[in-house]
Amino acid sequence: MIFLRRQLPLLITFVAGVVFAAQYYVPHPTSELMLTEVTKWLQIISGFALVLGVTSLFHIHAVKIRRKEPGWAYSLILYGGILGTIAAGFSYSFTAGQWVNGKETINGIVTAFGWIYSDMMVPLQGTMFAILAFFIASAAYRSFRARSREAALLLIAAIIVMMGRVPLGEMLLPVSGDVTQWILNVLNAAVRRAILIGISLGAVALSLKIIFGMERAYLGGGKE
Amino acid sequence: MPFETLLGAWVATGLTLFIFTFLYQDNPLFKLAEHLYVGVSVGYTIVKVYDTVIVRLLYEPMVNQGDWSLLVPLGIGMLMLARYFPKIAWLSRIAFAFIVGVGSGLAIPRIISSYILKQVEDTVRPLASLASGGGPTFTYNLLDPASNLNALVLLIGVVSVLFYFFFSIEHTGPVRVAARTGILFLMIAFGAAFGYTVMARMSLLIGRFTDLIEFADPRYGRATLWLLLATVATLIASGARRRDHPPGGG
Amino acid sequence: MTFAERMLHIDRRIIFLVIGVCTLLPLLYPVGLAIKVSPEVRGVHDYIESLPEGSVFLLSMDFDPASKPELQPQAVALLRHAFKKNLRVIGMTLWVTGTGLADLVVSQAAQEMGKVNGKDYVFLGWSPGVGSLIITMGQDLYKAFPSDYNNQPTRELAVLKGIQTLRDVNYVVSLAAGTAGIESWYVYGKDKYKFELGGGCTGVIAPGLYPLLRSGQINGLIGGLRGAAEYETLIGQKGRAVAGMDAQSATHVAIIMLVILCNVFYLLIRTSRGQSGQPRG
Repeated sequence: MIFLRRQLPLLITFVAGVVFAAQYYVPHPTSELMLTEVTKWLQIISGFALVLGVTSLFHIHAVKIRRKEPGWAYSLILYGGILGTIAAGFSYSFTAGQWVNGKETINGIVTAFGWIYSDMMVPLQGTMFAILAFFIASAAYRSFRARSREAALLLIAAIIVMMGRVPLGEMLLPVSGDVTQWILNVLNAAVRRAILIGISLGAVALSLKIIFGMERAYLGGGKE
Repeated sequence: MPFETLLGAWVATGLTLFIFTFLYQDNPLFKLAEHLYVGVSVGYTIVKVYDTVIVRLLYEPMVNQGDWSLLVPLGIGMLMLARYFPKIAWLSRIAFAFIVGVGSGLAIPRIISSYILKQVEDTVRPLASLASGGGPTFTYNLLDPASNLNALVLLIGVVSVLFYFFFSIEHTGPVRVAARTGILFLMIAFGAAFGYTVMARMSLLIGRFTDLIEFADPRYGRATLWLLLATVATLIASGARRRDHPPGGG
Repeated sequence: MTFAERMLHIDRRIIFLVIGVCTLLPLLYPVGLAIKVSPEVRGVHDYIESLPEGSVFLLSMDFDPASKPELQPQAVALLRHAFKKNLRVIGMTLWVTGTGLADLVVSQAAQEMGKVNGKDYVFLGWSPGVGSLIITMGQDLYKAFPSDYNNQPTRELAVLKGIQTLRDVNYVVSLAAGTAGIESWYVYGKDKYKFELGGGCTGVIAPGLYPLLRSGQINGLIGGLRGAAEYETLIGQKGRAVAGMDAQSATHVAIIMLVILCNVFYLLIRTSRGQSGQPRG
């Protein structure tokens, strides 16, 4: 039983990892066929994983409503949003004459589901991220101080790039456009390249550790 | 104008303004919009995942085309749901082991090839040609990213930043020089990143304002203007009520 | 508190107001300054321009509504260009919450250019798995998408005739708001299946993609709203991106002024504290 609980998952990870790492170097038709089948499986399983995170959200807010904790009315709104959207997604559209089946438009006719998407989700998500513009301005004003030589360098680079990427900046300071291009294509590219190489080496090392069972945090769930 | 479009414009504008009220202070209108946002996003994701995974990727191929091998991923996917039942939660580990194993196996050679080998090759290749080509062909146009001078600057940048991040050896002597050079490159790159982040955030705001201006049109019944008035009035009223009846008493 | 200290601790809502006004006014009263086109954007444009009629162009709109203001104008401009060149267009997305948006963009652009679904273009929709999806598409497109977004079997579509895998696609452009985008398309796609790859992205991730641009792993990069404005200028059809450039200019100058002011006040406080012998801030 211990084998099934503890060793089997590690064995699966090891075999799967080695097989698919090796597959990259084996162009034989059988190997390619295996890749096609298994990546399709992986897609389907990823789909299941997507909804896993949702259930904890359900649970937290259900508890809030049940215990009538402060702000439980908002949890009701959240539930209403979820259920209303799901209901719209699987409803019957009388104007289009068929079941919606999760489509936003049917033959050019906007469904209730599509309406919820375009007129609720898009503005809500768009605005949630748009207000960050105000916060970045306020944060820049409060804390973007040249306390040291390095900070001053960061500041100057930021100002040059901000000038160089807008038509007004290029008009007021014509050299900012060219300097911005040089900063981005040479200096920035060099730094990002080094960071990319470093992160990739780390990612490969972590993946190898996972395959060889040295890193088990991903397993989770259930007693050891 | 069709009723749904008009209603949609008013709802979209209202929700946008509710979220903007957060800039003044946290208030019930914002909380309502925030919770609605989470609810609708989650509902949308659930519908899409069901339609794509269960119907289009599993049910239709299995029933219409007889592809019964799909029972395997269906089984593994269902195993994942076992984590909600404490007695059999360990079964979900098999599913996660499969995903992580295959995922890591797929990723390793591809990342090595794309991000390590290719990037190092591109850093070194211009200098290899420089070494064989010789002096007279040395190009030093700073504005051309492919010039030899820029290739040298790029190499110095990559190496010095890599040195800076290599914390296993002490930054003394020549290593210290390399690391300090790395810091200078890093500061400039972070400055550029900040500039671009500002640009991105402002663009998002411009997008929302463009929509609000469009919905202020008489075609939409001047939705923006009326809802702006209503929102401000609500904020003032709730602010006054909070002053008269402070929460927690006294 | 001195004047400088009071100014540094000013209510942040005043700064919000400044930004709000700097964004609103140029949108209401545009000026229309000239936009210089960068080589990165030209890279994508010139490649599409060079494709012969009937070439296969795959546009992956890998973003959600949060990045709509930056990436939708890019999508619109690219689709207009591709339809004008009579390319066979395949639309799709890697982000589940972006599916509705991507569908809308493709249908509207197609309708505008008089293109027919199934014959001139197809919208495949979304499928889970990012990396595994791209690999499946690279192995067998019809296994990844047995049907298009309108549930039409993909094997029967005229627009996909002769296309079996990603190797048969002439140009892929990914409009990315995060890692599941250009980077994934390269690592899991171009690395093995060798199609040409270009990118469009939000301003936040743009600097991080320059190494790929420099090494030729992507042949062009359209960065943010400014990139979209440059592309609109190149195809000669000005849209939302160009319209937003004045507001972009105003807000950037506002932020620069704020940062300079902040440092001026900070310097004033430091020198006054230094002069009076008090401990530094």
